[in-house]
Amino acid sequence: MSRRIYPLLLIAPALALLAAVSIYPTLYSLWLSTQRFRRGVPEFVGLRNYVTILTGKNFWESLQATLIFGVSFVLITVSVAFLLALVFNRRPRGAGFYMTIIFLPWMLSEIVSGVMFRWMFLPQFGVLQNWLGPLVGENFRFLSTPGGAMGVVTGATVWRSLAFAMLLILAGLQTLPREISEAAAIDGASRWQSFWHVVWPLVLPTTTVTVLLLTIQAVNAAGMFLAITNGGPGRSTEVLSLYMYREAIEFFNIGYGAALSVIMLGMNGLLAAVYLRTLRREALN
Amino acid sequence: MSSLGKFQTEVLRQDAVSQPVGTRWARLERVLIHVALVLLCVAVLFPVVYAVLTSLRPSRMALASNMFDGNWYFGHYQRLLSTSRFLRYILNSVINSVGGAALTTLLAAMAGYAFARFRFPGQNLLLGLILGLMMLPGLTNLIPLYKIASDLKIRDTYLVMILTYAAYGVPFGIWVLKNFFESIPRELEEAAAVDGATPFQALWRVVVPIATPGLVSVFLLNFVYNWNDFLTALILLSSSTMKTATVGLFDFQNQLSGNENELLATACVIIMIPGVLLFLIARRAFFQSMVEGAVKG
Repeated sequence: MSRRIYPLLLIAPALALLAAVSIYPTLYSLWLSTQRFRRGVPEFVGLRNYVTILTGKNFWESLQATLIFGVSFVLITVSVAFLLALVFNRRPRGAGFYMTIIFLPWMLSEIVSGVMFRWMFLPQFGVLQNWLGPLVGENFRFLSTPGGAMGVVTGATVWRSLAFAMLLILAGLQTLPREISEAAAIDGASRWQSFWHVVWPLVLPTTTVTVLLLTIQAVNAAGMFLAITNGGPGRSTEVLSLYMYREAIEFFNIGYGAALSVIMLGMNGLLAAVYLRTLRREALN
Repeated sequence: MSSLGKFQTEVLRQDAVSQPVGTRWARLERVLIHVALVLLCVAVLFPVVYAVLTSLRPSRMALASNMFDGNWYFGHYQRLLSTSRFLRYILNSVINSVGGAALTTLLAAMAGYAFARFRFPGQNLLLGLILGLMMLPGLTNLIPLYKIASDLKIRDTYLVMILTYAAYGVPFGIWVLKNFFESIPRELEEAAAVDGATPFQALWRVVVPIATPGLVSVFLLNFVYNWNDFLTALILLSSSTMKTATVGLFDFQNQLSGNENELLATACVIIMIPGVLLFLIARRAFFQSMVEGAVKG
């Protein structure tokens, strides 16, 4: 058998699977988004689904919820993860032990984490509701207040993603030669100076990558919302991903849902492009 | 192998490295760091420990009841594990996760080997395309996939779940295994070829045994991801005989009648066991894959 055909034969099955399950559906969603289904029969409606989405208020409410969630989730996760990575980079005793514990939530299913959090914040007998609720205000109920519900989901998602972000930043820190900060110390730089002028510029690309990956996670986080708030109270936590799921699966508006998924795909594509550019710049340095 | 891949071994190993004895300030700082880390660990573990303790407590007991009085109650576990529907969900999860992970590993090994050992036109483009698919969020794919599966009448089948899970894992699997195969000396296969082995035989008899650690870690990672998957299963499965454990848990939460929270906690604990156990066993493979997946070096 010729050496030319051989590698293609080895790659073909993987490629066929990806074509069927990843590539084709993505292209198919472009077509779906221009259709309206009546009793299962498609009818071409052009860009009407997009127009309906962009002129209705649900989309903008969901976009706003997604932004609020995304910004708070990413900011909190990255800052805590950065501090943690700095601590672990100093190699405290028992680092392996601490790291294993901090990683456990990442190994749990979204739905398991969601169910546990929802249940700790249930009115009346939720343990964290009873401990933390009175701190916020008398008769404050997390899951029945828009801000509180968003807070619970944000907390649960930070809890789950913290270790992931920390590991990426730590990996960036560990590629810095130790000599760099030692040299700065010899030159009489204070610890803060050496961090700000030496370490920070060097880990900035890794941090940017972490921010982007977390943002992509945030845009696509439907499971946690489904489990904890189901979009409520009202539509206050119905983020775009959940809105898409609702329309397409619960209300059978496949065309409408597909148009939403194309819009979200565009948002993800934008983020991915920035991500790849950052990686390439990092590789060049 | 990524240049970043080595770091976690260093971090995990360094319990043995003693810190230089510093000033009183340095010592105080070290103590504070440990206090902060212990507090963080307590906070991180709290939901899990709380779920485990609740699952071991009889139903309808007030929260104030002492959780540490030593009277563990295993009734919820007995009840769930003798419920045929719950067992069916677990079985479905096992079939889908194992099937998906096995298919991922097989396909990724073949393709990864081709990318590591052969040079052919369009190779980099093809690899770029496949790795680019890792950026595709599974979520936006689910709507068209739902429609396609409905039209083909393969919703609620093991087939569609196994194929979908396998496709999720293939790009990353190819990346990991390509790197793994590149680290194996070429001379071994050349020697086999001299002895008259076909490339397939050389791959199967020489390379695969050496690459077993890489293959096992790809399989385990994908098994855990598939086991934990919720959204894909939620959208592609709706019959009660085909649902997986994660979808069953969601249904259970939605149908809950007031006082069955202990049973819900028990289901959570049972479903989290495989992921947690495999993570504890293969910690290093998990850390490494996370870094390699995000920062391709």
